Amino acid sequence: MRKVLAIARKEWRQVLRDVPTLLIVLLVPLFLLWLYGYALNFDIRRVPLAVQDRDATPESRQIVAAFTNSGYFDQVASVHADAEIHRLLDRNLARLVLVIPEGTGRDLRNGRQARVQVLINGDNANTATTVMGYAVAIVGGVSADLQIERLGTAVAPLAVEPRVWFNPELNSTLFLVPGLIGFIAMITAVVLTALSVVREKERATMEQIRMAPIGTGHYVVGKVLPYVVLSFVSATAVLLAAMAFFGMPMRGSWGLLLTVTFVFVAGALALGLLISTLVDSQQAAFQVALLVSFLPTFILSGFVFPIASMPGFVRAVTYVVPARYYLAALRGIVLKGVGFAYVWPQIAALLIFTAAAMALAALRLRREAAG
Amino acid sequence: MRRVFYLMWKEFLELRQDPRIFPIVFAAPIIQLTLLGYAATTDVRDVPTLVVDVDRSAESRALMNRFEFSPYFTVVRVESSTAAIDDPLLRGEAWMALTIPAGYGEALRRGETARVQLVADGSDANSAGIGLGYATNLVASYAADILAERTPAAPRGGALALDVRVWFNPELQSRMFMIPGVLALILLVVTTILTSMAIVREKEVGTLEQLNVTPMRRWELVGGKLLPYALIGVVDVLLVSAVAIGWFHVPLRGSFALLFGMSLVFVLNTLGIGLFVSTISRTQQQAMIIAAFFFMMPMTYLSGFIFPIENMPQAVQWSTYAIPLRYYLVIVRGIFLKGVGLETLWPQALALLGCGVVILSLAVLRSTKRAG
Amino acid sequence: MVTANQAPAGDLAIEVHDLTRRFGAFVAVDGVSFDVRRGEVFGFLGSNGAGKSTTIRMLCGLLQPTSGTARVGGVDVTRDPEGVKRRLGYMSQRFSLYERLTVDQNIRFFAGIYGIDRREFDDRRRFVVEMAGLAGREQLLARDLAGGWRQRLALGCAILHRPPIVLLDEPTGGVDPLSRRRFWALIERLSAEGTTVLVTTHYLDEAEHCHRLAIMHAGRLAALGTTAGLKGVFERRPIVQVQAPRPVEVMRALDARPEVEKTSIFGTAVHVVLRGASHAPDAVGGWVRDAGLRVDAVAPVNPSLEDVFLDVVERAEADRPPAGAGAARGA
Repeated sequence: MRKVLAIARKEWRQVLRDVPTLLIVLLVPLFLLWLYGYALNFDIRRVPLAVQDRDATPESRQIVAAFTNSGYFDQVASVHADAEIHRLLDRNLARLVLVIPEGTGRDLRNGRQARVQVLINGDNANTATTVMGYAVAIVGGVSADLQIERLGTAVAPLAVEPRVWFNPELNSTLFLVPGLIGFIAMITAVVLTALSVVREKERATMEQIRMAPIGTGHYVVGKVLPYVVLSFVSATAVLLAAMAFFGMPMRGSWGLLLTVTFVFVAGALALGLLISTLVDSQQAAFQVALLVSFLPTFILSGFVFPIASMPGFVRAVTYVVPARYYLAALRGIVLKGVGFAYVWPQIAALLIFTAAAMALAALRLRREAAG
Repeated sequence: MRRVFYLMWKEFLELRQDPRIFPIVFAAPIIQLTLLGYAATTDVRDVPTLVVDVDRSAESRALMNRFEFSPYFTVVRVESSTAAIDDPLLRGEAWMALTIPAGYGEALRRGETARVQLVADGSDANSAGIGLGYATNLVASYAADILAERTPAAPRGGALALDVRVWFNPELQSRMFMIPGVLALILLVVTTILTSMAIVREKEVGTLEQLNVTPMRRWELVGGKLLPYALIGVVDVLLVSAVAIGWFHVPLRGSFALLFGMSLVFVLNTLGIGLFVSTISRTQQQAMIIAAFFFMMPMTYLSGFIFPIENMPQAVQWSTYAIPLRYYLVIVRGIFLKGVGLETLWPQALALLGCGVVILSLAVLRSTKRAG
Repeated sequence: MVTANQAPAGDLAIEVHDLTRRFGAFVAVDGVSFDVRRGEVFGFLGSNGAGKSTTIRMLCGLLQPTSGTARVGGVDVTRDPEGVKRRLGYMSQRFSLYERLTVDQNIRFFAGIYGIDRREFDDRRRFVVEMAGLAGREQLLARDLAGGWRQRLALGCAILHRPPIVLLDEPTGGVDPLSRRRFWALIERLSAEGTTVLVTTHYLDEAEHCHRLAIMHAGRLAALGTTAGLKGVFERRPIVQVQAPRPVEVMRALDARPEVEKTSIFGTAVHVVLRGASHAPDAVGGWVRDAGLRVDAVAPVNPSLEDVFLDVVERAEADRPPAGAGAARGA
């Protein structure tokens, strides 16, 4: 234990002396949170809409009004020629084109079903899906109104009462910010350790340490300890900033949140250490770190993309992504206010991950020392 | 010119000596592509849904069946008491709960309005919003069917039918949107990071000084260091395009020559950034951190790669004009999905070229100044 | 200060006049002037931070002088740094080779950079391999070479293009004594073939190999001349070596004598510099015994370069008006 502390102390001093790195670890995460928390969201409003009203009847105007009054669409153009539709969609000037054919008003008045058409620019599938949802809902509403107007007494057979828990306004910031926190903590921790260890390797100071009478396990723990502290401080600062800047609520227990955060940070550092034992150059270390932490944390953790919608084999891969567990726990604690009974599987998974990464790193180090 | 050749030859020899760098440079794009191709989907499907059927009538089962057979929902559990909602939603096992209250079937039979309740877990606001939309539509179309059965005067399917046509990506697969973006991202990572580190490494080791006392000219040095990574980038473009078209069936509707040419212009940008980073960093660690945090992350997040630019606050939207990836993404997606050419893309192409020229000349200028 | 050099101008390989380089407020090189003759081995001696490397880097065109002029091979380093680069070979203490390239690939690379054509290349490669003693090791990676070999390979790569002038910045750092000796044999061979060599070092034994020496201290040229010439400062100040069991007390006793200029510890012995040549060495023994101390042996010694170096540095310190501050900065 004394030896572990000696290594930790040496590493700690080195870290404190490295002012640029300290600044990066403590300030950059805050900056990133602020910038991206502010900049990123999926809330889709003011969608540019173009209208081709070939009918020009009160009914057709009622349909157009339903779109423009919904608050989701901004009418940017009235189209007359078909060729113009191409131009608008090709250049991203309109995302949605509403086409009301001739005879729509007549059909409606005669009790026949009328057809209207929307053309959606589908290049961004996510936005397009949402926009399509808006369009379907608006047309459905107009349809029901017209129906009831015409039939006079008829009642709607079904009424839906939608309710949203935990985030009633469906504010996408509340959804993205926890993901961002996990992402930033992961990157900071992995890059920090991987680089600092490989740098020592390049400068051959590692060999010197390996000559010292200390077990590789102890060495590993001592090496990682100061970074755990540093990354934990940085992650906590980001959590606090998220609450201050973005109104992230805190419905659960602080103790639990900090515990999960600590375990996660330790796991991320263990991963960084493992990477550093696998490669010899900083160039390679960075590429690998990017590949095993940056991308999976971004894509496979549920940060942006819902895990449930992924194909089976990809879902299987997500089980080895530590951020997956952290995000589930973080969202659970801050948004839903769940307690230990709900997050223990996440904590257990993170602990297993950390232990496994540490053990692998120690094993690799021992092999390297022997070889 | 001969010096440039020797520098390139040396650069490849050095890369070959790093046994892990080549697999990384060429395997990484494929892994990234596969991940993003399969996993990076904001499409909402198979929403895990909990049904609380208090009514337990033929009518309630009919509604439940509508959910069951929809591709958007997967009924994970059926309960009979509303008290059972909390736990699965808290655990995240179900994202949505449909409650069919007692008397639902009775109300429908009597021709009254029957009420159902939908609860969505808003902690994933995006999926919750989309899922809720699907559920509302599903119930609405079911309602229209019931109405048509009840009153023969009402047309089946409602008074208005909506005919939706999605252009460029009819199945609304995120993949079609993501994969062209991946191409851009990979080019950025490979060329920017590798270039900046390659130059800074020579600085750290001292060989840059050795080169500086040779009669090698500045442009020869810059060219010889940048070209190998430009070549790697070009190979990556071909590799990623081949996999995107052959495996993921992303349609290439426009001209490949244009795609290739514009990729070269984009590489001009990324190499310029790489060179610029190398002039402001003294160690490889600094180079990596600057490249990653100050160039790559903003590029990923603010370019419209995943997060739509039009949703960002106005101030941030303005700043995205300085991000070359923004233009390249529009170009790549335009060529792949829309099949448009320069007649439509010329503003982006010009902007991209402008950015590239500015960045590269800034970097070259800075690196020359430092020599003095 | 000795600066004069009466050789005809066409015979000069390097001419430096009043060369100065500042880094902010810090003056790294302060008005340095000297000339180096063609074919000469010219040594730059000084402690760390004395300004040797900064001077060399200015001569290479790596660093712009703040003021003053330097001509290398007749070319002004400020006006035409590229022209200078064609005329010289440079090697620094870092032996800057490409570690991930083999010996042969390194030679091929630098030959390519220097534009050596194919016919000449085989000849030059043979020369470098033979000179560095690397025959049979051409396919080894540079990082797997031991220090001495790397050093000689780095030198070989730096002179592939047969430069008339070679600048070596602490070329023997971290290399074993045997390799150092071999390296100096190479330098002498180059010089015999007419190459001008300017070399910095802080090894005094190496400095003995140089035809002429410049001693730098705190950015200034403190002395310049041949080894024998520099030792001439002790002509009228004999040095006596005293072996005694208690050297510290011996020094104290002798410093009190008016005949003694100064004393210093040299290994286990005490070196005593006398004022004037008139005193016999034996008298020194008497002075020590007068103080009640034991003396084992007393003998006159010839001044070594180390004596010269310490003497020059000491006087340079004394010459500088605001002594304390300047010394601390220069160190």
